Amino acid sequence: MTPARQRERGCRPLWLLAAVWLLAAVPVDGLAAELDEVLARGELVWAADQEGGGPHVYVDPEHPTRLIGFEVELAEMLAAELGVKARFQQGQWDRLPLLLGRAADCVINGFESTPERARDWHCSRPYFAYSLQLVARRDSSLDSLDALAKEGPRGPWRVGVLTGSAAEIEMRRRTDLQVEVVGFDGTVDCLEQVRGRVLDAVLMDDCIASFNADRFGELRGVGRPFAGGTYTILTAPETPRLSAAIDDALGRLITDGRLKALYDRWDLAGRQQMLLLRDAAEVPPARRGSLADLIRGALPLLLRSAGMTILLSVASFPLAILIGLSVAVGRLHGPAWLRPFLAGYVELLRGTPLMLQLYALFFLLPKVGLALPAIVAAILGLAMNYSAYESEIYRAGLKAVPAGQFEAALALGMTKWQSLRHVLVPQAVRIVMPPVTSDFIALFKDTSVCSAITVIELTKRYSVLALSTGRIAELAIVTALLYLAMSWPLSLLSRWFERRLERRSERDPG
Amino acid sequence: MIEVDSLAAIRSGNRILDAVTLTVAEGTVTTLVGPSGGGKSTLLRCLNGLETFAEGRVTIAGHKLVAGEHLPRALERVRRDVGMVFQGFNLFPHLSAIDNVTLAPRIVRGVPAPEARRRGLGLLERVGLSRFAEARPATLSGGQQQRVAIARSLAMEPRVMLFDEPTSALDPQMSAEVLDVIVELARGGQTMVVVTHDHGFARRAATQVVELVAGRVHRAGPAAEILGGAGH
Ligand SMILES: Nc1ncnc2c1ncn2[C@@H]1O[C@H](COP(=O)(O)OP(=O)(O)OP(=O)(O)O)[C@@H](O)[C@H]1O
Ligand SMILES: [Mg+2]
Repeated sequence: MTPARQRERGCRPLWLLAAVWLLAAVPVDGLAAELDEVLARGELVWAADQEGGGPHVYVDPEHPTRLIGFEVELAEMLAAELGVKARFQQGQWDRLPLLLGRAADCVINGFESTPERARDWHCSRPYFAYSLQLVARRDSSLDSLDALAKEGPRGPWRVGVLTGSAAEIEMRRRTDLQVEVVGFDGTVDCLEQVRGRVLDAVLMDDCIASFNADRFGELRGVGRPFAGGTYTILTAPETPRLSAAIDDALGRLITDGRLKALYDRWDLAGRQQMLLLRDAAEVPPARRGSLADLIRGALPLLLRSAGMTILLSVASFPLAILIGLSVAVGRLHGPAWLRPFLAGYVELLRGTPLMLQLYALFFLLPKVGLALPAIVAAILGLAMNYSAYESEIYRAGLKAVPAGQFEAALALGMTKWQSLRHVLVPQAVRIVMPPVTSDFIALFKDTSVCSAITVIELTKRYSVLALSTGRIAELAIVTALLYLAMSWPLSLLSRWFERRLERRSERDPG
Repeated sequence: MIEVDSLAAIRSGNRILDAVTLTVAEGTVTTLVGPSGGGKSTLLRCLNGLETFAEGRVTIAGHKLVAGEHLPRALERVRRDVGMVFQGFNLFPHLSAIDNVTLAPRIVRGVPAPEARRRGLGLLERVGLSRFAEARPATLSGGQQQRVAIARSLAMEPRVMLFDEPTSALDPQMSAEVLDVIVELARGGQTMVVVTHDHGFARRAATQVVELVAGRVHRAGPAAEILGGAGH
């Protein structure tokens, strides 16, 4: 067996791996299901955003591997009523309903009943009543709701809201107020911004304000809770029997007092009064746990998410190279009619944001009947996006192979494709090794964008943990170190390739 | 073995080959000589279809080439029977010497790897390089590289071998190594067309010498007749 033969063998597992992996991954995620399918599956999949924070659904700061919140318990109670287990599905809050009909059976995450939601989804009977609470700094001159009617010392009051929430709708409706409304992805973000004086106030559901009151001791409620409404469980319109079953179960929990017991446990009923009392006098903020405890708790989770980051990178990059190389070969040596299409493919993918491409794959493809599991969409999106860049690199690499090589191969009677496969491409691959390796590092970091389509990788895990524990800086350092620990070997590898190539070109000029 | 009839080639509006007619008999050696820019390389490349021509006909190793484009299939068949050795060697730098030699037989002719290797080693032996079978081209001298290139061409068992100034990039000593190999091939009855500026070689090995000047056959005949006696 000659060395060339062995090398050819060596390439094959990569192809196989990619193919097998794709095939194996597709059937994993179940699609939306009617009641009988949920029962047969034995699992009620409910969607929420753990980054949205407490008291709804959040990571237990004491045991970061655990998800807690009154909605976690509510989901478990509902599932038990149906005779199945509850399984959590992560998603970004304002896009959670889009998961219905594919990755989740229902959404339980503080979704306020609104006419728009009732039109697009099935809304259950209410399971929680909220009011809106304005929160500001204790030292702020904003001391009543009426004060919003007149401009503050720095012009209009800057008021943060959760994007898509009832608070946002309420604030935008009130044209009589002198406010500038600023949308955020998380309520805890808003509180941080108020504390940091970027915002003057935040309008949020009273239960969230109460829940975070200890952590944000320098903030206080302004005025009484007002407006408000109820939370509802969303289900897909296509699953009426599941919706009815959830409605029934909820009704039983309300009438037999189990829901009240749950809310009492979470202190969601009487806490308002406690806070009114508390806000009348200064109370020192709660003490923090030690850094060692924090890291001990968070590290296993961060490591597991780093595993996801690695999986996304190593599964998508070989695919990107495969597609990129094919596109490059097609553009240089393929039939003339194909070339404009390939050029269009490259320009389209280079000219639009990766985030948009991921959304398209995950949220739009299902509309034409092609529902990909999130992780497959993530890998495919990364692979396609990077294939555009790789194809440009390989195109340059193929052009850099001296013309005499192609002629020598043809003169031996090889076909164009044999010449490409055995002579041109192997040389181009060696030439472009350094830029390709550095692109791998770039892709590795770009995997963080995948959190937008519900894949929890390292950056997402960091932001969930940072918000739930408040240890933003400490966890940032740990996360950055993890990223470095993974990308550093890649940098070394890329530099090694470069050195090897330089040495070869010194020996072999031209 | 080769018939060239009224061949003309036009590049950028210039007739760089015009009314070229010549015949190469089986088992003979023809050298193409003439001033730089005379069209020697172009003629050679027309013979194995690396370039097209505008007028005339070529018959080579039983294949017919006519003016204009050909199907890739047809050209591949011609090239399997016509070997070519370049001035710049054009060895595949990512493959060892033996892999350079065995690649085409394996993938074009479908020769099993062990068989291709056995024959390849025999060819490297023939050009005096069996010790360098596993060496990468970059580690070989110019003369050694050109001898590997010759072995690579021979591995396809071509009926005709074309050489385009095979020794111009080499110093005299390395040239001699390569020329010895080519002369040896000639003795073995290999049909060859050799572009060269080396009149010594032409006298030593050529059955026929063709002088191309400005794209036309200026003179053609036995070496002694065209090049005169020894020395210039
Ligand atoms: N593609 C082309 N376009 C324009 N002119 C060309 C092209 N190919 C060759 N020529 C010209 O045709 C002429 C003959 O070229 P060719 O390389 O065949 O000459 P040669 O006899 O091999 O010369 P040398 O001894 O320098 O190798 C030269 O003047 C060259 O510039
Ligand atoms: Mg020439």
